[in-house]
Amino acid sequence: MEDGVGIEVHAAAKTFGTVQAVRPVDLTVAPGEVVTLLGPSGCGKTTLLRLVAGLERETEGTITIDGRSPAEARRSKRIGFVPQAPALLPWRTVAENVSLLQRLRPGCNPAGQPSVGELVDRVGLTDFAAAYPHQLSGGMQQRVALARAFALGAPYLLMDEPFAALDEITRADMRHLLADLCQPLHAAVLFVTHSIAEAVYLSDRVVVLSPRPGRVVGSVEIELARPRVPEIEDDPAFFAHERELRRLLHDGAGR
Amino acid sequence: MTDRVRNSSAVWVTTGAVGLIAFWEAFVRVRDVRKFVLLPPSEIVRTFFETPAYYLENMWVTAARLVISLVISLVLAVAVGAALAAWRPLEDASQPMLVLILVTPWVAYISSIQLWVGRGTPTILFLVTFVTAPAFVYATVSGMRGADPAARELFRSVDASTWEVLWHLRLPAALPSLFTAARFNLGLGLAAAYFAEGAALSRNGLGEAGKRAVAFNQGDVLWTTILCTAILGIAAQLAVQLTERWMLRWHASQR
Repeated sequence: MEDGVGIEVHAAAKTFGTVQAVRPVDLTVAPGEVVTLLGPSGCGKTTLLRLVAGLERETEGTITIDGRSPAEARRSKRIGFVPQAPALLPWRTVAENVSLLQRLRPGCNPAGQPSVGELVDRVGLTDFAAAYPHQLSGGMQQRVALARAFALGAPYLLMDEPFAALDEITRADMRHLLADLCQPLHAAVLFVTHSIAEAVYLSDRVVVLSPRPGRVVGSVEIELARPRVPEIEDDPAFFAHERELRRLLHDGAGR
Repeated sequence: MTDRVRNSSAVWVTTGAVGLIAFWEAFVRVRDVRKFVLLPPSEIVRTFFETPAYYLENMWVTAARLVISLVISLVLAVAVGAALAAWRPLEDASQPMLVLILVTPWVAYISSIQLWVGRGTPTILFLVTFVTAPAFVYATVSGMRGADPAARELFRSVDASTWEVLWHLRLPAALPSLFTAARFNLGLGLAAAYFAEGAALSRNGLGEAGKRAVAFNQGDVLWTTILCTAILGIAAQLAVQLTERWMLRWHASQR
């Protein structure tokens, strides 16, 4: 078993019945790296993320996380998963939801878990720690979902379009928050989105997928300074990256 | 619900109750209804205070039997329902038995139960448990199946055990439907307990007191017993409602 190798996807493909969702894909995510899968709706990026999370089995190829299978990585709590919907438990308060994953199979908790109270503070919900999910806005609920994933202290976070259902202003706030959270915790993130701005702002590298069946069209290193601050979105380099990604998406779609 | 709306609702409930009692009293007096057919409320109160201990003791006995049976029924049904929710073939296989229990009038087979289990309290407990269990089983299965799929996936992402999924997710998700079933079962269980007590299965309890009143042609005692049974039912409904308000404070039905 190897530690700190990262996520390695070798020629992984997925077919559902007769439908090929993902063509053989190669992908790596180094420890601490933020990689975004960018592609149009239905291109298989969520399927690829679910393969890495061990929630689906690949029909071809291999996937390892620090040298272990995704199933083993799940068992040893090396993966923090953020689904599209916040998936908060309505009978638990904000603080109780944030601590949920820590409380499940506590014997397997990774070392150095952040404190729940600190995370609730960092996502700006101190005054809502005792509130129930129905008392929160959509953006606040998604902040709880982020804090819950970070609370696990897992070295790899897999995020499946977590901001897709939010309005544009809240969405921008959320990507700024996520970048702030990632910075000191050094977790590697595999992020799925179809928002080009989100991909550029958050990532060290963006992997562009073609329409279904998904294949990698290209990979773009995002050479913007860290820590990322909202002002960077007005930087010409930011626009240049957006333009490049847009071109790759168009090429991938055969336009 | 705001305090103002709640207060206004309480006023209307009280007005309705007072109106009903006044109408009942006037109807019996004006129409000169025979006391075995219907006794006016004032006569019921007078009869009750002639021998209050007699009625209170019988109410206590019936209440204890009802509560014990419902608790046994709930525990068994949740265990069975959890197994059925986890495995669809088992649920399908159990349908004929559950439907048969639900649709067959228990008054028809009470003599057979008496022959099998014997006389007295165990038979009453058995009957009430038996007739109330299917509603609890259905509520458990539908509630557990309705648990948020995204939350189920989140639990899978850390390889949560079956027990953890049951305790932290499926059981709380089943609570709203279990409370609905509990309210239905209170009426059913009270009727079954009253009937079983009266069917010579007991030497005490409201059902037995009612049967004896009929045998001795005591209309006033019969109607006092009937009202005591109704008060017991109302008290049980209130207790369930209060528990529900507290336990489901997060649920849309309680807002």
